Amino acid sequence: MIKDLLWVEKYRPKKISDVVGNELAKTKFIDWLKKKNRRKKAVLLYGPAGVGKTALVNAASNQFNFTIIEMNASDTRTEKTINKVGKPATSFIALDRFSSESKGNILFLDEVDGVFGQQDRGGIKAIINIVKQSLIPVVMAANDTDQKKLRPLKKVCQLIRFHQVRIPLIITTLQKICSAENIEAEFEALERIAQNSQGDMRSAINDLQSTSEGKEILTLQDTMLLRTRNKDIGMYETLRGVFSAESVGEAAIMLSRSNVNYDDFLLSISDNLPFRYPESADLATAYDMVSKADVFRGRVGTENWHLLRYFFNLLAKATTVSPKSFKPFDFISPPIRVMSLFWTKNKRMKLENICAKIALKCHVSRNTAKTDIVPFVKIMLEKQKSSKIVSWLKLEPDDLDYLIKMNKL
Amino acid sequence: MTINDEAMWVEKYRPKTLDDVVDLTHIIENLKAFLKNPHSMPHLLLAGIPGTGKTTVAICIARELYGDKWKSFTLELNASDERGINTVRDRIKDFSRYGRTGFGEAPYSLIILDESDQMTGPAQTALRRIMETSSRTSRFILICNYSNKIIEPIQSRCAIFRFSKLDKCAMVEHLKKIAKQENLRLLDEAAERIVEYSEGDLRHAINALQTTAAYQKDVIDEKTVLQVFGEASPRQVQLMINKALSGNFVEARKMMYNLIGQYGFSGSEIVRQMQRELMKIAYIPDNEKAELTNIIGEYDYRLTQGANSDIQLSALLAQFSKFGK
Repeated sequence: MIKDLLWVEKYRPKKISDVVGNELAKTKFIDWLKKKNRRKKAVLLYGPAGVGKTALVNAASNQFNFTIIEMNASDTRTEKTINKVGKPATSFIALDRFSSESKGNILFLDEVDGVFGQQDRGGIKAIINIVKQSLIPVVMAANDTDQKKLRPLKKVCQLIRFHQVRIPLIITTLQKICSAENIEAEFEALERIAQNSQGDMRSAINDLQSTSEGKEILTLQDTMLLRTRNKDIGMYETLRGVFSAESVGEAAIMLSRSNVNYDDFLLSISDNLPFRYPESADLATAYDMVSKADVFRGRVGTENWHLLRYFFNLLAKATTVSPKSFKPFDFISPPIRVMSLFWTKNKRMKLENICAKIALKCHVSRNTAKTDIVPFVKIMLEKQKSSKIVSWLKLEPDDLDYLIKMNKL
Repeated sequence: MTINDEAMWVEKYRPKTLDDVVDLTHIIENLKAFLKNPHSMPHLLLAGIPGTGKTTVAICIARELYGDKWKSFTLELNASDERGINTVRDRIKDFSRYGRTGFGEAPYSLIILDESDQMTGPAQTALRRIMETSSRTSRFILICNYSNKIIEPIQSRCAIFRFSKLDKCAMVEHLKKIAKQENLRLLDEAAERIVEYSEGDLRHAINALQTTAAYQKDVIDEKTVLQVFGEASPRQVQLMINKALSGNFVEARKMMYNLIGQYGFSGSEIVRQMQRELMKIAYIPDNEKAELTNIIGEYDYRLTQGANSDIQLSALLAQFSKFGK
């Protein structure tokens, strides 16, 4: 019976120490799990597929005696169903927590980036609500966290990033499995499987099983038929790919394989450039390329898609201005712009509102009001709070407050 | 000059009749000729830099045509706030269709379209048709800074009046008149300073004058004026330029995001202010200013072509920080 198991199931880690690689993420997660007062009630484990996110959660709950209540992409996850499972699970603390060794429940939402569209309508919103009210730990896992719809979710979670598993670690694991399965494997064969997996432990184990099925000896020859899995390359990988590329060509290939959103990607490149090029001459050259790429993006519009090739080539050039100077650095994503616009939205609306009042009275546009009149009005009001301008412009008390406290332009 | 209870002096002292308008004799004469027989008045296009009286003239015309009830016969829109084709199709079209001839002696309704050079191309094209079909029931006064941004078919349907920079002496005179009405002692050199800094923009000058009054000193002297302009000029933009020129790109970009985030400025607005402030920075020699202006111009152009203003502004700042090194 056990013989027929998929090896990925059979050799699934039972203890935390069995989970290979990603030591930093592991420690972070365990620390969070052990904490009595969690600052954030939920964690979001994210990273490429097959690096041990789900495995870690299972192993940890096994080791610490948590009971997992799981929902994954195979369940429909509308607002309704999520509430149906999540609400009861998170609003009570399991009774046996007080009686037995069990530490209680964990709500585990796997593949949250797969909470999609029409079928899963309202899903993310429901998850956020549950996270906010939950009495038990909520653990989530996702591959691609760049998606817009996940942004609100990311704010209420502690984020833990998983990286690809390093090749030597994969080889060691494969060797262990081979000896358990009584297979004699050439080192080169295992190395090829590991390389081919690109740091995806699960696919490496699957490949090992498929190539050594029914064999006692595994040779390099057996593995020659393996092909790289076509992966969806997310924002993070694409950024790393294009910035570490050694030539324009390499970067261009990376870009053509990626399926990130062009506009988000353009902004991300722009945000990360200064960290890539400390030299201001390099930086200026790179930005010039990005700026031209943006011009082409403008020309592409919604119809001239063939122009995209120039867009890509210019971006590829921008990231490879001086390949030799590349040093790894932490990428910024999502774009700063999005964040800063989000945080300042209220202030901006307030100012727009005041400008609209001025525009109405002074026969000017809101923009002219903002640049030409607000600075003067601000000073007048600072000097004379009770000025009759206030009532004339119909400014509310909080408008007045805002104008006076506002940073000078 | 008539006085009313408007709190902002720009409105309080906005001329009510064409005769009160400052320093535009030749334009006024032409317009008055039209107004003798209102039916002979064509659509008008008033072009010129800010604060030279374009909007004032338009409102004066409305007053001459309809008297104090001008607001009920006039649609005043600012194209920079409502620049899309929908505004043209909905509001302007509806308004222009009402024949006002039935009400009193008003010959037609008036549509004042301020900052009309901000209108999108499609909106202008839509407007062109409306101007033609509704010419029996309404007249348009288009106001703009740059008449070349108005499509030719519209230009050819209008009588064009160009407003140039106001005469300095006339501006000084006007400020003094206001000061007298407000019982302020405005020193000559202070008035001249205000006019000098306002660069022919009378609205700016009057706002500045009112701000100096808020300091509540007996006499408005040069010092107060300098203080006001120091406080009111957009310092953040200058700081951003300085940061970039000192090679600190990351900080400069942070300030740029702040300008966009806190004040909601558009990309082209920031570029415009950068250009204006650059000229005021004393430590940069003129030949370098020319080169930097060239850079700003290039990116201003790319802004109009590109898809994302953040990118172009960042690239512009990167060029500045390279230049500074």
